[in-house]
Amino acid sequence: MTARKKQAFRQTPWRVQLKLTGRTVQVTVVLLVVAGLYLAVNARLADAGRQVLVLEDQRESLQRATAELTAQYAEQTNPERMLERAGSLGYKPADSDEIFYLQVEGYVPPPAFVAPRPPSSRLEGATRLSPAYTETLGEWMTRWLTPD
Amino acid sequence: MDDPLADAGLGEAPPPVRLSRLRIISMMVGVSLLALGLLFQLVRVQFGPYAPIFADWAETSAGRLERLVPARGNIYDRNGNLLATNATRYIAEIEVRQLHSQSRQDIATTMSELLALPFEDIKAQLDTDWISVGQYRIRLTQKDDKGQTWPIGIEKQEAQILFALQEDPLGPDLSGLDLVPAPRRVYPAGSLAGHLLGFVNQEGKGFYGVEGYYDEWLSGRPLTVERPIIPPEARVAPDPPAGVNLVLTIDSGIQQTAEIVLREAIDDSDAESGQILVMDPRNGEILAMAAWPPLNPNDYDEWLPGGKPSVGESDKKESDSEEDDEDSDSDKKDEDEEPVITPGVAGQYEPGSTFKVLTMAAALDAGVVTPLEQFIDTGEIEVGGHTIRNWDGRGYGPVDMIGCLRYSLNVCLAHIAADELGASLFYDYMSAFGIGQITGADLAGEIPGNLRTPRDPLWTESDLGTNSFGQGVSLSPVQLMAAVSAIANDGFMVQPHIVRQVVGPQGVFAPKTTVLGQPISTDTARLLTEMLAISLEGETSHASLPGYRIAGKTGTAQIAGEYGYDPRWTIASFIGWGPVPNPRFMILVKLDKPESSPWGSVVAAPVFQELAERVVVLLNIPPDPAQMPIAGAR
Repeated sequence: MTARKKQAFRQTPWRVQLKLTGRTVQVTVVLLVVAGLYLAVNARLADAGRQVLVLEDQRESLQRATAELTAQYAEQTNPERMLERAGSLGYKPADSDEIFYLQVEGYVPPPAFVAPRPPSSRLEGATRLSPAYTETLGEWMTRWLTPD
Repeated sequence: MDDPLADAGLGEAPPPVRLSRLRIISMMVGVSLLALGLLFQLVRVQFGPYAPIFADWAETSAGRLERLVPARGNIYDRNGNLLATNATRYIAEIEVRQLHSQSRQDIATTMSELLALPFEDIKAQLDTDWISVGQYRIRLTQKDDKGQTWPIGIEKQEAQILFALQEDPLGPDLSGLDLVPAPRRVYPAGSLAGHLLGFVNQEGKGFYGVEGYYDEWLSGRPLTVERPIIPPEARVAPDPPAGVNLVLTIDSGIQQTAEIVLREAIDDSDAESGQILVMDPRNGEILAMAAWPPLNPNDYDEWLPGGKPSVGESDKKESDSEEDDEDSDSDKKDEDEEPVITPGVAGQYEPGSTFKVLTMAAALDAGVVTPLEQFIDTGEIEVGGHTIRNWDGRGYGPVDMIGCLRYSLNVCLAHIAADELGASLFYDYMSAFGIGQITGADLAGEIPGNLRTPRDPLWTESDLGTNSFGQGVSLSPVQLMAAVSAIANDGFMVQPHIVRQVVGPQGVFAPKTTVLGQPISTDTARLLTEMLAISLEGETSHASLPGYRIAGKTGTAQIAGEYGYDPRWTIASFIGWGPVPNPRFMILVKLDKPESSPWGSVVAAPVFQELAERVVVLLNIPPDPAQMPIAGAR
């Protein structure tokens, strides 16, 4: 086949249309793949976000329940109730003349009470996700272009 | 011209495409321009001068603002008993857009029946057209006795019933009702140390006592964050900086004993009110601070301005129905008198004879008197044109300084202040003792008291005479404790304090003992302690404690009013410490307007004795023979 014939073959209308269709389909597929990936990632992110909310609710609920039980326990064992219970069991406060003091060599008194530490604060900075999930294209480019 | 396609057998050649190409090129140019425009806009939004504004828009556009409030810190006594913590109550909120006629009716009916609230009030709130004023979520409210409006708070039991009804398909239609959990401060020990703790209001703000003084520390730092809703962000909400936990110096055992002893003393003496403070004079740790009438921080409404504190079931006044007693009580009460919360620091009074120990300390330290120096007591003395007499109006003849303290002679102390010390020295010493100044005790509402000095235009010379025995000078109980701690603690005055540990996320901070000053020398302090111990052994057997050596002083003060001193009522008090010479506790007993007897030696000293008997047991202080090894260990 001569060069002219090859050129004529390339320029046949059905070839041109096929090429155009093929390229369009190619672009569409790429776009669909990108959109699909985007959708999948975002769906997973949204699902994770939903789970985070549920877990946070659970945590708050458990914290409330713990606080409630702590308060109830403290109320049940408060000094007034304990004195009443001890009295009902036949105990009475010891008088000084009823106590015999004994000096014990090497006795180490129990350590002083230390209150539990409150939870450390976790600020937003400490919980930041990987930038891959949050940064914009511009931020990514800036980060990429900025030397360390 | 040959047709190559035809030659190749591929059909006819296409028609000329000049027009189509022009269109395509035009379209490409158009699309390219559009793309360039978009790119330009993208760059402009991202990096242009308005980039921060666009960034702000992006930050605030999607999502809702949430206020994250950390849990308020707990308060413990020194042995780990929980005195203040948090529980949950629920606030009734309405999502207005979910309401309809049936749910309005059912919510109003259920809430009014369950919480005993007026149906009409709730129905009216539900029927209001909130959407027209831009409100989509409201809090149901109720009015209290004073007409103030408060959100409807629902306790756990009632909330559980409502939750069950919401899930019951056959139950009332409660759609639109949302029970939002909110923290509620609870005090498991009830009124134990109530005055000392203070309370927290519905908005979570602490008032009075420890809650008021350490409010910012206890409450932590709330944060406002934006939470995206659609889609929810896969990010854990930040935890706001939590409030600290506090460990107090209070010993619940001693506190409870002090409150029981005080209540019995109030019953026995028919006093109107009273306070007991117990402090470790070596370091200023307050071991107990009891006050009557008691304050239950779980139910503080009656202590708010305009309220009338009740005094509990055991109060004598409730059981006492006799007419004359009621008259007597009404005589005592001043209608304008507002109840004082944490009177240990916020209540001021004239100390009377307990103040004499400070005058004597000043005189001994200045070297103007010695313990055995004789004074001829004629029963009266004139200072600045004002005649001062002894408490019983009689003269005691020759007495030494121990006798002056033992018999609590006003004339003797006025002589020491006016003739021996002089105004300048006397007031210098009082200033060194911190009289007229706050001690800095870590409790909200401390008042400085009042002491007129020669620099004050209203001061007269007669003030010097009366001040010497605790009249014309006012101070708070904690101020007297701080001043007298100098005598019990080898001359060093310690700052009273209530917090032993501050426990935060970063660690434990234990405040150290603060020495406020040394108003007198160590020798003077020891000498005066010895004099007081001797005078107590001779005078007030009511305050003595078998097996322990105690130093102390009674006080009986008149009560100053608008028109001078009220002859009917007194403040009876006793301040003492022990065991001498290594004191581990200092106790101040103060009874206001006792009826059984006006004298501190009769009504207050026995209370000291009763409490001290228990305190030595609770603090594991052995009697004198076993005292020496512990003293050596200090």
